[in-house]
Amino acid sequence: MSERSLQIAVRDVSKRFDSRGDDEGVTALSAVDLEIFRGEFLVLLGPSGCGKSTLLNLIAGFLKPSAGAILHDGMAVAGPDRRRTVVFQEYALFPWMTVQQNVEFGLKAQGMPLRERRGVARNLLSIVRLAGFEDRYPHEISGGMKQRAAIARAIAPSPDILLMDEPFGALDAQTRVLLQEEIARISAETGKTIVFVTHSIDEAVFLGDRIVVMSSRPGRVRDIYPVGLPRPRVPEMRTDAAFRDLVDKLWTSLRPDWRAETGDVAQTA
Amino acid sequence: MDDRGDIKPIRLPRLGGSVRKFLGIGLLIIAWQALAAADVVNPFLLPPPSRLVSTFWDMLIDGSLLVHAASSLERVVVGFAIAAIVGMVLGVVLGWWPAISEQLMPVVEAVRPIPPIAWTPLAILWFGIGNAPSYFLVFIGAVFPVFVNTFAAVRGLDRTQINAALCLGAGPRLLITDIVIPASLPVIFPGLRIALGVGWMCVVAAELIAAQSGLGYLIQQSRMLLQTQVVLTGMITIGMIGFAMNAGMTWLEHRLIPWKVSEPRP
Repeated sequence: MSERSLQIAVRDVSKRFDSRGDDEGVTALSAVDLEIFRGEFLVLLGPSGCGKSTLLNLIAGFLKPSAGAILHDGMAVAGPDRRRTVVFQEYALFPWMTVQQNVEFGLKAQGMPLRERRGVARNLLSIVRLAGFEDRYPHEISGGMKQRAAIARAIAPSPDILLMDEPFGALDAQTRVLLQEEIARISAETGKTIVFVTHSIDEAVFLGDRIVVMSSRPGRVRDIYPVGLPRPRVPEMRTDAAFRDLVDKLWTSLRPDWRAETGDVAQTA
Repeated sequence: MDDRGDIKPIRLPRLGGSVRKFLGIGLLIIAWQALAAADVVNPFLLPPPSRLVSTFWDMLIDGSLLVHAASSLERVVVGFAIAAIVGMVLGVVLGWWPAISEQLMPVVEAVRPIPPIAWTPLAILWFGIGNAPSYFLVFIGAVFPVFVNTFAAVRGLDRTQINAALCLGAGPRLLITDIVIPASLPVIFPGLRIALGVGWMCVVAAELIAAQSGLGYLIQQSRMLLQTQVVLTGMITIGMIGFAMNAGMTWLEHRLIPWKVSEPRP
């Protein structure tokens, strides 16, 4: 990365959720500072409850910070817009639309004519290897295919940034590995900025240019690790010494948090 | 399963699905006719099926049955249409704004348990005799199922789907036409189907008292003329039309909501 240009700036952001009844509430994020650069693949990694999904929802504009500000190209994020599209863990495809219509939705919202958006959607569906499934409904295809369709839908409106919220968390291990390779390929080909939430260390190292390690209660940024692997990422890198080293380092760093999360039962990778 | 192949349960002869469906009703009709032929039942109190068939045919030919059926249908369609619109609007408004539903829900819940028939005296006082009290009673019967299901549908909207649509750039209009309405349809539509059934019962009940035409009026009038066969013919027609309306709505539901089948809401 030669010239790093700032795209998203998270400035001293805190987020409290006020619970009804008692006045306690929960502080999900506390004083988070983070800079996201154009074209980078940034991974938010941490145990559950560390606020990584909350941070993603704040960047998307689904939530508003309790304090601090989030800037996109210098402008405060006021709400969701199509420059920052989201891929959700539970796909969130529209079940009443075919795969094709799902992918077309963001283009339709832009007012693109039917003929044109049909072509764009078909092209994207072939990129995510879903050619031939255009007219299926989401309930007729597998979980992995649903997530491919959701990725195509999120890329369709040409966002500046793709936000992915544990997108492979609901998939089986094999499908997950295949989709990791797919998203590595897509990110290398499109050069889009990607913010990717996960609690899998392997996934974080395989995909990320930088890994933001978060800790819980309240959620905050603890460390940021650059990943020294070249891009595009290919499956052979998983056995690379640098890859294993970083996985071990992250594992050691996160072990206390995971222990706390699992009730102090020691675990190994 | 294979090694137990020689031990088989005693089976009735295999019949096609449609044959099996009509077997019971066929036996009932034969038994009914037989009882009448054997003079076991008084044919005045319970006319035999053959008599009903000929009455039905005669009334179909002279058009009287169709005239009555048409006025009942017109009333149910008008009352149902008003109830569908009011019920859906009310359901969306109360479902979307909790502040309003907190105020209005107790009113709705207080009115809802009153049987539509209990409104008949007021309906006549307010609207006189004619179509209007029937419209009103159908409306009262049909509006609540539509409202309750619409309310539940709006309350049950999936926040993640809304967020997905928003981040893809959907404006308010697209959000309503392409997300909120189709997401609600699988819940609203059964409400509409139930409402139409309730409305059909209400129109007949209204016509017993407050109308000068319609199938309800027909059976009431025939009772006074001691024409039991016409009473029963009217009743059977009411049943058949109700059955047909329900089947029509179910068919429409499958056509309009093809995705519903294997994607239940969480």
